Amino acid sequence: MSSDQDSVTRRSYLKFAGIATATASIAGCGGTGDGGDGGDGTGNGGTDTPEATPTESTPSSMGVNVGVTMGNMDSGLDPQDHAETNTNIVVSQGYEGLMDRNPEGGIIEGLATEWERVEPGTVRFTLRDGVTFHNGDPLTPEDVAYSIRRIVFDDVGITSPQNTDLGTVSEVVPGDGEVTVHFDGLNPIAFQLFATNGEIMQQSWVEENSRDYINQNLNGTGPFQLENYESGTEVAFERYEDYWRGAAEVSGVTLNSSTESSTRVNRLLAEESDIVTNVPPQEVSRVENSDVASISAVPSTRIIFLQMRYDVEPFSSQSFRQAMNYAVDVESIIENILSGFGSITGQPTLDAFVGHNPDIEPYPHDPAEAERLVEESGHAGAEITLQTPIGRYLADVEIAQAAASQIDSLSNVTCEVQQRDFASLVQDLTTGNIEDKPHFNLLGWGNGEFDASQTITPLLTTGAALTVLENDTVDQYMEDAANEADPEAREEILQEANAFLNDLAPWVFMHQQFSVYGVSNRIDWEPRADEMIDPYRASPN
Amino acid sequence: MALGRFLFKRVTQGVLVVWGVITVVFGLRFITPGSPINALAPLDATAETRQAIAAELGLNQPLHVQYGYYLLDLLRGDMGYSYIKGQEVAGLVLQRVPATVELAVAATVVAIALSIPLGVISATRRNEPVDYGATLFSLGGISTPNFWLGIMMILVLAVQFGIFHTSGRGVGFGDVLLSIVGSEPFLGTVLDWLRYITLPAIALGTYFTALVTRLTRSGMLDELGKGYVRAARAKGLPETLVRYKHALRNTLVPVVTVLGLQLGTLIGGAVITEAVFAWPGLGTLVIQSINVRDWPTLQGCLIIIGTSFVIVNLAVDLLYASLDPRVVYD
Repeated sequence: MSSDQDSVTRRSYLKFAGIATATASIAGCGGTGDGGDGGDGTGNGGTDTPEATPTESTPSSMGVNVGVTMGNMDSGLDPQDHAETNTNIVVSQGYEGLMDRNPEGGIIEGLATEWERVEPGTVRFTLRDGVTFHNGDPLTPEDVAYSIRRIVFDDVGITSPQNTDLGTVSEVVPGDGEVTVHFDGLNPIAFQLFATNGEIMQQSWVEENSRDYINQNLNGTGPFQLENYESGTEVAFERYEDYWRGAAEVSGVTLNSSTESSTRVNRLLAEESDIVTNVPPQEVSRVENSDVASISAVPSTRIIFLQMRYDVEPFSSQSFRQAMNYAVDVESIIENILSGFGSITGQPTLDAFVGHNPDIEPYPHDPAEAERLVEESGHAGAEITLQTPIGRYLADVEIAQAAASQIDSLSNVTCEVQQRDFASLVQDLTTGNIEDKPHFNLLGWGNGEFDASQTITPLLTTGAALTVLENDTVDQYMEDAANEADPEAREEILQEANAFLNDLAPWVFMHQQFSVYGVSNRIDWEPRADEMIDPYRASPN
Repeated sequence: MALGRFLFKRVTQGVLVVWGVITVVFGLRFITPGSPINALAPLDATAETRQAIAAELGLNQPLHVQYGYYLLDLLRGDMGYSYIKGQEVAGLVLQRVPATVELAVAATVVAIALSIPLGVISATRRNEPVDYGATLFSLGGISTPNFWLGIMMILVLAVQFGIFHTSGRGVGFGDVLLSIVGSEPFLGTVLDWLRYITLPAIALGTYFTALVTRLTRSGMLDELGKGYVRAARAKGLPETLVRYKHALRNTLVPVVTVLGLQLGTLIGGAVITEAVFAWPGLGTLVIQSINVRDWPTLQGCLIIIGTSFVIVNLAVDLLYASLDPRVVYD
């Protein structure tokens, strides 16, 4: 309630002061597309410094509370008991990890000022001095060790879904102003993982409170401290004045949600919200034509593709899989369905990620070549069905229908679309048995670590959770990459893997999804590549 | 005593209805594809992680064991924990009840305030322009999708003219009551509350307004042609008294029945209206729970919804007697 009232007060104030909507329009469409290098994976940390950050609050910014409207709310405030984007956005206002990322995805300092690999399977973090939790208590190495252990080891408190990323941690040892983490094996992407995962909580606070309490309260070290929590409705934060980077320029942030995209846009245009997520292509012009907000878009870490199971006909044929890539006009789909908010891909790894191969070109749209390859595969006359989730990814059903229609327009293949509830589709995708999986389906994958291995390993190696492929060469590439300590040699291996996969065509390579935001002219804010929202970097216009 | 027996019977029936709903939902777990683990764990989670989460949630136990524990907890007043949010279900669900009841009652008030006068006027001025207007309004109200009406009202009255809020529930009726004794200005709070509640109440209430208008009109036409109305008029009673005290009262029994059923339905969740107006009601929670297979939360919602249906229908039954003395309870 308070946030909405604040917003009314602010709006009324601006109206009567005659300065409403007088600020200049901010960033237009398109981002840099530079996802950052994601770190070198071995890192003599501490060379990157924290980004330029707000320090002193100015009188003009004292009353500005940034309103954010997302598609869905969080699933609780325990930062280690979830693994989905909306919750991450909410808890990241108050919790932080040892390392952080800049808006482009590059690794920067967090609660650790330095990091180094002391042995092949051991890394050490030097902790920042003078950091306090929102309750005023100082951050200790024991808190850091406990937090990592809570994610990794079931017996510490919860079964954390983040265990998937940090599961190779074998032990965590607190020291004097530092923490040492041991892994099973080398783990060449240890620092990429810690830059994306591992929010730090206070051990005593966690141990003293119930799970119910921890999910409705917050005690982190981040730039905003919790003011009010209404589960599933609204989360209000106020600026944490003792934040180690310096207090935010804005006084607070209020996050709410609406599943209905038109409602999100209406909130923006009525100046009830400052940042709204996932503006669909059909609503973009409404925002751009207004005089109170504009569109701000950036390539995200999410890739959209059509998986083809290697073990069933006709997809067992490499020629047939390549034919599907030639048949689908991805550029046209991006232009006509996504209004240009997408970028064509030709490999599993996105541009600027570690391991991306710049020499690979996406498959061109060539129906004649597609028909020739279908004939060559011996599967002329094949009838296939593309399964797609409904409403999980931006315009997913429309994209699937367009792709299926383009395949269907080939003279020797028939293709139709089957729409599925995402929960039901995921049930089939995650059984762990490749034989239970759909033959042909649309899927999206977000890679917050900015590293090729975090896409190829779970999606394209033998026995992996989401794989549709069992190929010795791919498995060998990824094993070599996992055991290679030299970053340049490792990147070369991953680039070779991407070239091999482009030719092997286990997917119809579609596009990199863009994050499209509506941003009020009242604030200056740039979107991030990793789908997070950081009002800490916002400033009043 | 008859009333006591009646109440006992209806409450017992209500408990059985709620128990039936819980049991059916429990059974649905087995035949509905999807698992809450998929909403908790990343897609690439290992089988070990999935099994550990299943064990933590108690999903690895046989269904009859889960069912037994759930019923035992329920008897102790414990609805359990949300699989997804890790919070107590009772708290999650009860947080949504005020918003749901508030919207349902507001929509019903809109429906009653507009439909009954309109129905009476339409019936007493049959085949006159006002009757045609009311008929047109009713047909329009019944045929207009409430999400479209809601979006149009938001665009014009909230975005364009800024008279109302576009969405959300920034101020609740509870805040209005608190402002009577608190430091917040009462009038300002009421006005702000109206800026939130009016559009969703109209969007939701329009269909019922149209429906009840048609019902009132046909009921009134029927009653106005009956002998007791002619007798009343012959006695020289004022026409207003004839219409509103005698004819309308007898028309109200079916109207109250429909209103009661509709109120129960609204408490069950006005999902589309809640989505358009980002209204934090039970309907949204039900849909969210289904989407992520959060069974404890879904069951908590259904218990509240089922109980509401029982209470509203009981209230309607009790109201019959005051409207029609011929009604007796047995």
